[in-house]
Amino acid sequence: MTALHPDGTDTSLAGSTRTVTRAEVEDFLFAEAELLDRQRYDEWLTLFVEGGRFEIPTTDAGDTPASQGGYFVCDDWDLLRARVKRLRSRKAHAENPASLTHRMIANVRLLERDGDELAVTANFIVHRARDGHTNAFHGRYVHRLQVTEDGLRFRLRRAVLSLERLEAGARLSFIL
Amino acid sequence: MTSPSTSPASDGAAPLVVQDWERLAFRVHRRAYRDEALFAAERARIWERTWLYLGHETELPKPNDFKVRALGGRPLIFTRDSTGELHAFLNSCPHRGTVLCRETQGSSRHFNCFYHAWAFHNTGEVAAIPDPSAYADEEYKASMRLREVAKLEVFEGFVFVSFTDDVPPLVDHLGPAADYMRMISEQHVAGMEVLPGTQLYGVRGNWKLAVENAMDGYHFSPTHNTFVGYLRESGFAVDDDDQYAYNLGNGHSLLILTGHGGRISMLWEPRFGEAERERTAEHRREMELRLGSERAHLVADESHILFVFPNLLLFDLEGLSIRQLEPVAPGHTDVRAWQLAPRGEDPAVRDLRMRTMVSFVGPGGLATPDDIEAYEAVQRGIEATAGDGRAELDYSDMSRGMAADVSGERGRSTDEGAMRGFWRHWVTAVGEGGPVDLGTPPPPHPEPTPLPSKRPHGLDEILAGLETGIVSGSEEVAAR
Repeated sequence: MTALHPDGTDTSLAGSTRTVTRAEVEDFLFAEAELLDRQRYDEWLTLFVEGGRFEIPTTDAGDTPASQGGYFVCDDWDLLRARVKRLRSRKAHAENPASLTHRMIANVRLLERDGDELAVTANFIVHRARDGHTNAFHGRYVHRLQVTEDGLRFRLRRAVLSLERLEAGARLSFIL
Repeated sequence: MTSPSTSPASDGAAPLVVQDWERLAFRVHRRAYRDEALFAAERARIWERTWLYLGHETELPKPNDFKVRALGGRPLIFTRDSTGELHAFLNSCPHRGTVLCRETQGSSRHFNCFYHAWAFHNTGEVAAIPDPSAYADEEYKASMRLREVAKLEVFEGFVFVSFTDDVPPLVDHLGPAADYMRMISEQHVAGMEVLPGTQLYGVRGNWKLAVENAMDGYHFSPTHNTFVGYLRESGFAVDDDDQYAYNLGNGHSLLILTGHGGRISMLWEPRFGEAERERTAEHRREMELRLGSERAHLVADESHILFVFPNLLLFDLEGLSIRQLEPVAPGHTDVRAWQLAPRGEDPAVRDLRMRTMVSFVGPGGLATPDDIEAYEAVQRGIEATAGDGRAELDYSDMSRGMAADVSGERGRSTDEGAMRGFWRHWVTAVGEGGPVDLGTPPPPHPEPTPLPSKRPHGLDEILAGLETGIVSGSEEVAAR
């Protein structure tokens, strides 16, 4: 397995125990939202550590432990890179043409800190428009971030929907 | 000649299914996907008359567990009562019809209606009616027990219900599909269980588009171009050759996939990792001892996509996914999907299973979103020909590989034979005894040539008793 990103840069940055403020986390999440809304997926992938994961549990999963229950998205590093590669392809039919997305992030809070790892949570609303319909996806992020001298990186990026189900047409072909 | 008239005709007069044995053409009228009256006819003549998949018994592991869901538009409570028996109650208070259970899942000995505080045991009996003296007698009170579906039967853990008593025994309805369901429960000595976490999603497409898609190997390469690319890059062989589709009667159908290798704990692939390789070998030895080598091979080495008419799809691939279709409107279908996994599975294998299956199937995977895109694009696209004066334009074509229907050869998975089998059954079921105009009958089916003497893995034997039924039965009397 390669340790390199598609553009050849090595992002296996060392962890740091430096102090992180909520403002820094907010800036990180807001910048990420812009990358996603602009479909700049290669740059988005560099926000992850090598081996990072991306998860969206099913709407009824509750507190089911990770990997023991249902998921909409359960990407390890290989799958995450495959997802990004797919989204850049014209053959990702569900996203060609791409959905219009518009993200709002609020209620950002820092949770536990353990060495170089910081748990954070935030509320999100992602509006997604396609095929003449707009769907709102709301929920909260529960991320585990690696703190580095150079900024923050996702170890686990987890989006937990506050929906009863995915409405018609509301498939998760984009990044939530 | 079986083509529809080219003269302007109302939609209602055009035949729903056209099969032309001379030209080897098979076409389905697109109002089958969009017509409200046909949708109502489907509800009445399929969903009210046929066994329907409700859920898996392992979704309710303990007494008093319940889940609510809907079948054919009817809200139901699927519960295991305090004595351990399974029920499917109408989720509606017998008093005035209020939705009785407004939770989606949980555990309860009683179901209580908030409106007038009527209470019911989870066995269905009335537990309490406030001020019962206002009613005639105890017998009257007892008559207010929860309403249940007409029939409930379980086959290998799969729970089916019927809204009418007038159905054959479940195993007769399943026919040869039953053995493919049994194979699933034979995969592991400890049996299989549904994992918590349901993929609940809706699609803006007719339910039959989802059935067609599952039985359609033709779409796999173009639609799932990016997913196939990912599989190839991860060292995974993908091949459409030498794979076949089977009609199993009663509307059921099956794809047997041998060019899509890799079955967790049964057929190892490099992407599953070295640790899984040894576990797989060990598990295969156990299977051989338990099932015998022929059966173990049958259970372990082939992937299957099984459609059980009308609402169950079983994806027995790298892992196992159950998908239930619930038509909501002609252009709108609700889907529920669950992962089925061995009980007590090693956490490392479970993790691999989740990643592998979710990566493909499901509305957030790398493949299913493109299928959904296809259903929705068809549903929008067929508006283009709706009501067109040139009536022949308002048909979808499913003729691919129809020569195999004539010769009696098995059809390739990349042909459309499984779809044709589905539509022949559908048109018979929907047309039965109602106002749906099926047009004039088709010319007689040509005499089928004998089936190839050797089908893979015992399908000959399984289908042996079935062939006569298919050829001479009403299945082939599809609407002109």
